[in-house]
Amino acid sequence: MYIIVVGGGIVGYGIGLELQMMPGHEVTIIERNASRAAELREELGEMVVDGDGSEVAFLEQVGAGRADLLITVTADDAANLVACQVAKHRFGVKRTISRVNDPRNEELFRMLGVDSTVSASQAVMAQIETTLPEHTVVPLMSLEGSGLKVVDLHLQEGAPAAGRPLRDIRLPDQTVISLVIDGDGPRVPDGDTILHSGDEVIAVIPVDAEETMRELITGRPESG
Amino acid sequence: MNVVIMGCGRMGSTVAARLSNEGHHVAIIDINVHAFTRLPADFRGRRVVGSGTDHQFLEEVGIGEADAFIALASGDNRNLLASQRAKHVFGVTTVVTRVKDPLRSELFEELGLRTFSPTKIGADLAHDALFSELSPGSEA
Repeated sequence: MYIIVVGGGIVGYGIGLELQMMPGHEVTIIERNASRAAELREELGEMVVDGDGSEVAFLEQVGAGRADLLITVTADDAANLVACQVAKHRFGVKRTISRVNDPRNEELFRMLGVDSTVSASQAVMAQIETTLPEHTVVPLMSLEGSGLKVVDLHLQEGAPAAGRPLRDIRLPDQTVISLVIDGDGPRVPDGDTILHSGDEVIAVIPVDAEETMRELITGRPESG
Repeated sequence: MNVVIMGCGRMGSTVAARLSNEGHHVAIIDINVHAFTRLPADFRGRRVVGSGTDHQFLEEVGIGEADAFIALASGDNRNLLASQRAKHVFGVTTVVTRVKDPLRSELFEELGLRTFSPTKIGADLAHDALFSELSPGSEA
């Protein structure tokens, strides 16, 4: 695969290091600041080039036309967005992933065709949410294109899904209960598995099934 | 017409003054308060300090009620982000974007924005001026 990374800051550098370990991929890291690029080149070698990753002519020069993936990780959301759009619409790059510095830009990026967005504050929020008792369904990641996502579920006391074998629970279509984590650790469930309150469940669910899942794992008041 | 202009440089301030003189309601925004000194003293529009790429700020400026948005900040990418937000998120019907890089200008025109490239226009002018100087009266 040919991967272009736009931005040689701390994130771009980290990605470069990781990708270097994965043989068989060709990687180019574009850094706009010449002295930073030189610094990175000392460690990562020829994969680092000095230029503007949102400029059409420069992307052409680094072979964007044959890139399979373009990842933008600069601290400038405008540069990240435009680089992804140029890659997608001018060079037909199949997949674009962008860092989003201002979380309020995430929706705009998606709307304009960026395939995946990564926001540090959103990621941290997801971590915080897993520890909050009122958050019963925590989205972990979305599976692009399939309309599915992976969620982390916390079964509450008195939840409709608790105390019954999995095969008797009416789950939304396409839902897969992938992993059940209880006091004994993680295990792959089958139809006989009985969930208990306090269990943590990793599941693949359709993106619009979050509410149904929430009802299944949320405790009901005694009278209700 | 209600117009929001992003960027109070030489071009932004000139367009703002002209639209205001023509009787339009103009709000001009810039991240630098000193930029507004470029406006003529009798400018009747609003001057608002803030970033045109910021969702909340655009909302506060009243982008939702604007008939037109013109992006004339110095950075092409910032203009493109702000313009696409104005058009696709806030539903502004008329959006004009300055994009210095002729190639990016062309691409985003294809993607539905009304762009212009001062670089392209300037290059054409320089070329034509050269030939009209060389042979006055004849076509370049």
